[in-house]
Amino acid sequence: MPTRTEPAPLNRWWQSHRSVALLAGLFAVFPFVLPYTALANEIMLFALAAVAFDLCLGYSGVMMFCQASFFGTAVYATALTLLHLTSNLFAAMVVGVLAASLLALVVGFMATQRSGSYSVLLTLAFAEMIYFIAFQWSGLTGGDNGLTGIKRPNLEIPGLFSISLQSSLAYYFFSFVFFIAAFYTIRRITLSPFGKVLMAVRENEQRAQAIGYNTRRYKMAVFVIGGFFMGLAGSLYCMYICFAHIHFVHFEISGNIVMMVLTGGMGTLFGPVIGAFIIVLASDLASALWDRWMLIMGAMFVFFVLFARGGLWGLIEKLLRAKAARGKGI
Amino acid sequence: MTDLIIAQAFNGLVLGMIYVLLAMGLSIVWGMMDIINFAHGLFFAIGAYLAFTVASWSGSFLVCLLAVPLATALIGMLLEVTLLRRLYGQNILYQILMTYGIAIAGRELVIMLYGPVGKSFDQPELLTGVIPIAGIFFPIYRIFVFGLTALLTLGMWFVIEKTRWGSIIRAGTENLKMVSCLGINISRVFTLTFGVAMAIAGLSGVLAAPMRGIEPFMGDLILGICFATVVIGGMGSFAGAVVGGLIVGLSQSMVTLVMPSASVIIIFMVMAAILLIRPRGLMGIRD
Repeated sequence: MPTRTEPAPLNRWWQSHRSVALLAGLFAVFPFVLPYTALANEIMLFALAAVAFDLCLGYSGVMMFCQASFFGTAVYATALTLLHLTSNLFAAMVVGVLAASLLALVVGFMATQRSGSYSVLLTLAFAEMIYFIAFQWSGLTGGDNGLTGIKRPNLEIPGLFSISLQSSLAYYFFSFVFFIAAFYTIRRITLSPFGKVLMAVRENEQRAQAIGYNTRRYKMAVFVIGGFFMGLAGSLYCMYICFAHIHFVHFEISGNIVMMVLTGGMGTLFGPVIGAFIIVLASDLASALWDRWMLIMGAMFVFFVLFARGGLWGLIEKLLRAKAARGKGI
Repeated sequence: MTDLIIAQAFNGLVLGMIYVLLAMGLSIVWGMMDIINFAHGLFFAIGAYLAFTVASWSGSFLVCLLAVPLATALIGMLLEVTLLRRLYGQNILYQILMTYGIAIAGRELVIMLYGPVGKSFDQPELLTGVIPIAGIFFPIYRIFVFGLTALLTLGMWFVIEKTRWGSIIRAGTENLKMVSCLGINISRVFTLTFGVAMAIAGLSGVLAAPMRGIEPFMGDLILGICFATVVIGGMGSFAGAVVGGLIVGLSQSMVTLVMPSASVIIIFMVMAAILLIRPRGLMGIRD
């Protein structure tokens, strides 16, 4: 029996990491190709939120409508830390991400009390609650005026080193490190045994229960992981625009993130990135041209649900497969 | 102080009845067709805007009350036949996404037609003024709304409990497959049911317009409140919609007396509490 030759270690490393490397390469050139750095940054941070949400929806079948609550809570928590407590970059990030994860734990606990459509509704109701709390508690959140006067901190350890993050480009590459690390982590999660259980929950929750998995605990874990990474996106976003506003906890942000995953392709890692690229770019262009561009967005929801459920990544895969089949002469 | 509490309780009751109407439609569609209709709030807004148009044409509120529900029912049935029908029996995710898309597109269309700024809607002349009862002034229009919605709720109860169509709806909520096995044309029932739900939603828009004014985003806010109402009352239950709507309306108006800023938040807090104590809702039958 012929033994399979093991690929060289370097080759093996490349094979398992090429998707992450490809993504890193792509995002490394974005700020130089796109018209302005702010756009590249927005695409990257929303791509992070969308990939995190796709871990919930596409891999685990956990639908929610409170993405903005996690994202926006991190925005507020980071902003408040920077304004009132400390100007330390990492402290602000930790507070922001922890606040989002904690909220995700609470919402996840409540929402997984029920299943299916009920659970989705609960996340929506909690998202509304967070929005109104942020709106009414204007002493803390600034209400409709938002929080201004936030100063972007530098990357520094006092007495050791200090790197200025004040330029957009420097901050972009600072976020870039977190983005790639987060993407790598989420990818590892989907490949891990834990990730396989998530997929089992998605495919058939009853069967997963019958095998002996406590599916509710897994779904709650997915909420917390999703909330963690959406919070990371929110925290980085806050320090980028140096502004916190009620809009960031509004339902529209959640809708956009869902749209990114739907257009890009559910249950894939690259799909949501493509989706974020398209949605952010399109809304940036369209909103400049036409006030009512959301009409197109609504129509796109209907179109993708009816005709292109796999999203754009699904279409690309289909094309590639067809090409491969033709190449073999079939 | 008691006067104020009684007057405010009455306001809460009227508001609650509007929620009852909306929650009823949402709950029937959800329970029977298994669709979470994110466009429900849109039809509430469409109802209010159509009332504005019809009132400026005809000058009669009565015409609004009759024509607008008919129009929203037709729009609803058109949507059901062209779009929603393709998604029955599929993952709820797709239905949510589609109705959400419809809600966004519809809202933007409304803004294109009527402009982004809200409009005021005068109370019908016949129904302006107040009636003093025991020293407390009750606005005639609100008494009218309460009477009409109560009548409508009773009517719906009668239809659902006592008629053939109602028994099909109740049976469909229990076991849809069995109903269609008995030889009932389910797809026609669905279209009709959705139309009726949208008619009621449109009507509540008409009734609410003179009390709260009209603006493009009115459907978004009411949708969240309706979902909370259905969760509190229990999905697919007629009594649940009534109890939930009244609880939500009353708690909202009572909290307004003490702490106006918390009047919306209280709804979701009640919802969270119910969820922890009794996850299937106050009157909910099934999980």
